[in-house]
Amino acid sequence: MNKRYGMSIDIDKCTGCGACMVACAVENNVPALPGANDRRGITWMRVYRVDNGEEYPDRRSAFVPMLCQQCGVETPCAHVCPQQAVDVDPATGIVGQMPERCLGCRYCMAACPYHARYFNWWDPQWPAGMEKTLNPDVAPRMRGVVEKCNFCHGRYHRAKERAAAAGEKDIRPGEYIPACVEACPAGAIRFGDLNDPSSEVAAARHEAGSFRLLEKLGTDPKIYYHSTRDWVRQIAFAPKPGGKENLHG
Amino acid sequence: MTTRRDLFKFAGGSAMGLLLTPAPWRLITDTALWSENWPGIPRPARGEIRAKFTHCGLCAAGCAVRARCVGEQPVSLAGVEGGLCPFGVTGHHLPYHPERLRHGNRPEAAAAVARAIANSAPDRRVAVLDLQPGRTASWTCRRALAALKNGVYLAPEEPACAVNLAPAGTVLSLGAPLLDGWGSPDRVFRARSGFRLIQAEAVESRTAALADQWLAVQPGSESVLGRAVAGTVGLRQAAEATGLAEAQIAEVARSLRENGPALIVAPEMTSEVLAWNLALGAWGKTVLPRREAPLPREWSKAAPVTPLAAVEVGSLGALLIDESVPGAPLPWAAIQPKLAADAVVVAFSWSRAGYARHATHVLPAAVYPEALGDLPPALVAPSVGSAAEFRLTVPLVAAPDGMTDPAEFLSAVAGLDAKDALRQRAAAIHAAARGSLRTYADGKTSAVKDLKFDDFWKALNAGGSWMGEVENSGKSPHLAPAAPIPDAGDPWPLRLSTTQPGAPALVSPLMTKLWQESGLRLGPHRAALNPRAGFEEGARAVLETPYGRCEIQAALDGSVPPGVVLVAYTPEIADIRGADGCARLVRI
Amino acid sequence: MRRNIFIAVGLLAGLGAGWAGFPRAIYSRRPQPVDFSHKVHADKAGAKCEDCHGFREDGSFAGIPTLDKCASCHAAPMGSTATEKSFIDTYVTPGREPQWLSYARQPENVYFSHITHVKRAQLKCAQCHGDEGSADHLRPFEQDRVSGYSRDIWGAPGRPGMKMDDCVNCHRQSAAKGAAGTLSAQAGERGCLDCHK
Repeated sequence: MNKRYGMSIDIDKCTGCGACMVACAVENNVPALPGANDRRGITWMRVYRVDNGEEYPDRRSAFVPMLCQQCGVETPCAHVCPQQAVDVDPATGIVGQMPERCLGCRYCMAACPYHARYFNWWDPQWPAGMEKTLNPDVAPRMRGVVEKCNFCHGRYHRAKERAAAAGEKDIRPGEYIPACVEACPAGAIRFGDLNDPSSEVAAARHEAGSFRLLEKLGTDPKIYYHSTRDWVRQIAFAPKPGGKENLHG
Repeated sequence: MTTRRDLFKFAGGSAMGLLLTPAPWRLITDTALWSENWPGIPRPARGEIRAKFTHCGLCAAGCAVRARCVGEQPVSLAGVEGGLCPFGVTGHHLPYHPERLRHGNRPEAAAAVARAIANSAPDRRVAVLDLQPGRTASWTCRRALAALKNGVYLAPEEPACAVNLAPAGTVLSLGAPLLDGWGSPDRVFRARSGFRLIQAEAVESRTAALADQWLAVQPGSESVLGRAVAGTVGLRQAAEATGLAEAQIAEVARSLRENGPALIVAPEMTSEVLAWNLALGAWGKTVLPRREAPLPREWSKAAPVTPLAAVEVGSLGALLIDESVPGAPLPWAAIQPKLAADAVVVAFSWSRAGYARHATHVLPAAVYPEALGDLPPALVAPSVGSAAEFRLTVPLVAAPDGMTDPAEFLSAVAGLDAKDALRQRAAAIHAAARGSLRTYADGKTSAVKDLKFDDFWKALNAGGSWMGEVENSGKSPHLAPAAPIPDAGDPWPLRLSTTQPGAPALVSPLMTKLWQESGLRLGPHRAALNPRAGFEEGARAVLETPYGRCEIQAALDGSVPPGVVLVAYTPEIADIRGADGCARLVRI
Repeated sequence: MRRNIFIAVGLLAGLGAGWAGFPRAIYSRRPQPVDFSHKVHADKAGAKCEDCHGFREDGSFAGIPTLDKCASCHAAPMGSTATEKSFIDTYVTPGREPQWLSYARQPENVYFSHITHVKRAQLKCAQCHGDEGSADHLRPFEQDRVSGYSRDIWGAPGRPGMKMDDCVNCHRQSAAKGAAGTLSAQAGERGCLDCHK
């Protein structure tokens, strides 16, 4: 049966430490380049700080990890790509980005409602010797192409290979988890198959306080957020949390 | 006769001919393929994937780490029992840091130290400053100092107790970054759902944002709240100092007493914090004795721990600073007066950023995860209770040539044979035949008395962890008298607060994702200020304290109260930050 | 009229260069470090492919064997050929790894799992690699001068190519043959990331 991998992020647990952001960069061979800033840097996983808009000491903050929301219906980036460099894998539901096909027009970046796509402004480079620490399961991307989160697809490959070696038909639940899920010290991120009713994520989306970002667009994103605080749930309607255009609740 | 025109015709013809062959199309394809692999793009090495285990050496907590390795080379790190902090996740990058210290003149430094020892007058002292006391290497230093005449062992104050969050019902945190890398994240977060967290802090920190209740107290007044809860300060006085209502403080005290077991934590677990906990009846439940693994009997001749304040001014002829493991440094302003005019200062460092700026000799030390060492007794005890632990930081990669191990350097100077100190310590633990050994690779726990020493030592070097027997009682510790509450003077209108004290001097280049590619954390040389503090975003200013000055750039942040300047922890800030946190900002 | 002969000659020269010269010139040739005979090993030692080109415990493919694999049999000469003797003298005794050149090395962005194809789909090695096991000599390693890819990626007579089209064709064929829900049906059309990384 086809899978539909999804994630459930508990904002009430996220301390905004950033372990997921760096674990993602380590796993996916994303470099840090000296000129990179919040517009030109690459962070497949980016944690934004949002607040309730009050003045100190009534101000309250929350941290919202943002990554590709893996839209399942009318996937905006896949729709606009002139190169067919973006596709949705029917077997996993993962939205894939093919750097080799990408011509760098960045139409997908404009189309993405979540600002979750990043452009390689430079060739990837690491300080001398640090290229030894690159993950062999992920190919470094070249300058001039767009990239984004693919739920650590290299780990999915690894899990499948292990299953094949063990003579199992399919990978076991929990055998495949993205790096951010593994790294989160607070246990705020859960990952699994939304089609499997026994999985944690399938149960989490029906919990009270569960919501998706910009659900009204009808793109069926596969990242579910959770918060018991009303003002936090307002981010579901905001264009970009943490930005200047932040919608205060 | 051929003419120029014929040549052009020939060329035109061959161009036409070539178009009818695969050559141009293939060249186009090849060029496209080349652009995917051109020389600027490194190729990850392939090979067998293995798991290696170690303990993180980037702070005293020492989280268990599983390293995914290609062949021998670690390519990613993950926690064994939970997540790691971002520093820990990227620890395997440190050996390749561009600013890593690689060269130093060891013979020259050794000669200078030997001269300082040989020529020292009776009142001149040779000191070691150990930033992470309680390790086996610390014991080696103390033994070597005992062998020298006039040896003094300096160290920052160690926590007066261990804490156990597992049984806690209510936790009052007085500005401790409890949810942001304090103690070990896996032990804190495993217990998190069990206790109610009250965070008293001026700034709405990450911990404050996630606490069940945040008390926005006046900057620097956290300790007054602790005293009020313990009953050593009256409610009215506490309310005045903290800016909270008397009823609010009474309510905090009530909830600590009624929804116990209670626990009060502070950034530094001093004996005064311990006294407040004792007043709440936390001893043996959430506050436990901090136990150390057994030591070989021969190690009893060791220099005592001397507080820096007890050292006479101008009395240090030689000072060796062990910065090879990160720890909360003592401000240079406090150390400098203790040095003699011609003092030799040797820093064993990863980078030039720390004490190396003040040292006369700087020797490079192996970084995590290159160095073999062990960890000091844990601040956050295992959930089962108070037990000694022995965990090694096992090297995952080989250190480059020319690195100096500070304990080995000092023992060579003192003529002490301490090469096998870790092994001797393990032998002493094994000989006591108590406790159990946990191996992460197979998740098994076995009793030490059933193991041969060689197997025990091998397992420890494969990232195993020894834990002694659990014993939560123990005699209540001796309490030092409380220090008076510092009072901010008038010319210093601001309170200086820092994020991540004790962060390692080197961090992975990828950490810029957290402050450069995003604004998640406060970057070095940035200062967060309340938007109404009168500075614009990005404005440059000089941060002044009674101990020095440092240039910063303003970042406006509504979670910082007026009257507070929040800066990222750097060695420069550590140098100028006083205990009272007085500061002022001068616009440039 | 006579003048147009230059165009014709040029055309022929271009065609000749493009069809005959270029396919040779685009590749650089390097000999393998040792003239290894797959045939001798298969016939005399009765070795199967996976005896030397095996899988690791986690299911990853180990590829070209390392020296210790060779040395486990050839610590001392087993036969009397000069090739074997020089191999032992040059590599086994000093413990020097031969720098084999991999014919079938895929580009960095390709994910290929040997174990899925060999163990789960029961493919024979020769189906992609050609009948390498019966060759008496190692071909020189030919590398595209521009892209750096091995010539084997494009295939040769008797040896199928390893381009993306070749993978896709095979997967489509097996998917068409397989009944719904079977492994071969799963091997049909999938997302790009199924074979790319």
